[in-house]
Amino acid sequence: MAEAYQVDERGAGLAVEVVGLTKVYSDGNVRALDGVDLQVAEREFVAVTGPSGCGKSTLLHLLAALDTPTSGTVRIFGADLGRMKNLAKYRREEVGLVFQFHNLLPQLTSLENVEIAMVRHEHGAPSHKEKAAQLLELVELAHAADRKPAQLSGGERQRVAIARALANDPRLLLADEPTGSLDSASVKVVVALLTRLREQTGTTIVMVTHDDSVAAVTDRVIHMRDGRILDA
Amino acid sequence: MSTLALVARNLWGKKSRSIGLALAIAFAVMTVVALTVVGSGLESSATAVMHIGEANFVLSQKGVSDILNSTIDKPTLKKIDSTPGVASAVGVLVETEKINAANPVFIEVGIAPSDLAPFGVKILAGHSYSADATNQVMLGYTAAQNFGLHVGDKFRANGAVNTVTGIVSTSSSFGNDAAFFPLPALQGYNRVPGIVTLIFVKVDHGVPVSKVMHRITYAQPELMALRTAAQFGQADLTLVFVKAAATGSAILAVVIGAIIIGNTMLLSLFERTREFGMLLSVGWSRKRIVGLIMGEGFFLAIVGTAAGLALAVIVVLLLTQLPQLLGVLHAHFTASAFITGFATALAMTFLGTLYPAVRAAMRSPMDALGHE
Repeated sequence: MAEAYQVDERGAGLAVEVVGLTKVYSDGNVRALDGVDLQVAEREFVAVTGPSGCGKSTLLHLLAALDTPTSGTVRIFGADLGRMKNLAKYRREEVGLVFQFHNLLPQLTSLENVEIAMVRHEHGAPSHKEKAAQLLELVELAHAADRKPAQLSGGERQRVAIARALANDPRLLLADEPTGSLDSASVKVVVALLTRLREQTGTTIVMVTHDDSVAAVTDRVIHMRDGRILDA
Repeated sequence: MSTLALVARNLWGKKSRSIGLALAIAFAVMTVVALTVVGSGLESSATAVMHIGEANFVLSQKGVSDILNSTIDKPTLKKIDSTPGVASAVGVLVETEKINAANPVFIEVGIAPSDLAPFGVKILAGHSYSADATNQVMLGYTAAQNFGLHVGDKFRANGAVNTVTGIVSTSSSFGNDAAFFPLPALQGYNRVPGIVTLIFVKVDHGVPVSKVMHRITYAQPELMALRTAAQFGQADLTLVFVKAAATGSAILAVVIGAIIIGNTMLLSLFERTREFGMLLSVGWSRKRIVGLIMGEGFFLAIVGTAAGLALAVIVVLLLTQLPQLLGVLHAHFTASAFITGFATALAMTFLGTLYPAVRAAMRSPMDALGHE
């Protein structure tokens, strides 16, 4: 798999390269994506905006290999997702996902929710617990490590979800409306966190949002409508 | 966090459901283990008669529902005794009688004094009864202790007052807890003159036992030769039915248990669809999700087995105290009964969780995450 992640000549320096991406849902009537072409450079922070149903979440899900396209190709750091056999490994090691709804497990503490996404422990590396604690510190929630989701605010839960997305040091962070269900104060905290993350870790971030003020903090805003990109 | 720790946390997080499932497993395990123990306990009680006598094999009448209903007449006994290769053939009448509430199925053995030694009966105190005595008895030492009787005391049995002439021991605990009467006297009490229940056969030194067994059963097809407890269990139709009932109940318990577990797990996993979608999205493999769910089932199987075994022990001990079963059923807990119980729990949980686990793991992460 390591070879598959090597950036080839055409895609050198690109984190995401999408060509002619089309997604038609099984009933054949909904064309969620219609020949989308997109490139995102490494370390870039990109926002994808547009009205509801324009295909921005579908695009993100295809980048995360949570769904398969009808046609077109998706290359992540030069590797063609359509040719990958182990997509679970890709999701585990290359990307981090943040959803609008945090999807934290209610029976686990913040620390355990971060730990659960971690791959097998390697000799010499910090233990899962230590690393999860470091990530919670990064999202400024070290004090809430032992709290369960029910004991956290909406913004705190989303920060735990971001820490979980960073569990395996992904090179690409995909965030689907991460501030969509938060109050304005929490929105600011989460946006500031994502900005800081990109600066500190150099992670490439693709964030879907319908909030223009959130999109404004990114390097580039991609507008979508009716399954197509209006500008890129 | 290890998968094992997550298994424990998931089960602990849904305590009521976990307890319900563990109880379903426990009741199935209890049923299977209790029936197995009862079956082997009854077999043990029945075969104990066979072990009282020190013989190479035992002959009984073929096709009887209860081995103690076997009837073999005097001429047949003589034929057996004269069969080549037979060193001795001891015919005994085995009857049971209710002596009192504590001894509802007391074993009485009718045997000639001359056969006592070949039969393995050792006189510890007093002397043997005479061959034709009508009111004499010898007690196994355990029975004597239980009744508080000594040589010279009176023992009321078979509607008569019998003088205890001796206290004896045998190689079997059941023999030690029995009474020995002159054969004609016990035949008379039970109105079966000239009849014995079983013939205990010893073969000549150096002669193959199986050869003699075959020779006798070939010449006397109405008889069957029993050498092991398993053969005894197959010969006694009552035991055959008890064992068949135990096997049928075990299968039924597994099927019903698997349906209950499968149904509950399906409901539970349906509610956790988003959780599995999240785990798939953070890179969990489908195999690991199946492992997580099966692990939860396995954990429940262990807890259910432990509870089921404890319940089985309690139930069997209670059954042994029932007036109808007192003295008949002896709790005979064997490793194989416990292993059968655990295997039942494993089979139930495997069958009950496999389909729900595979179904949960095979969903697309997108579908699972979008589940409301």
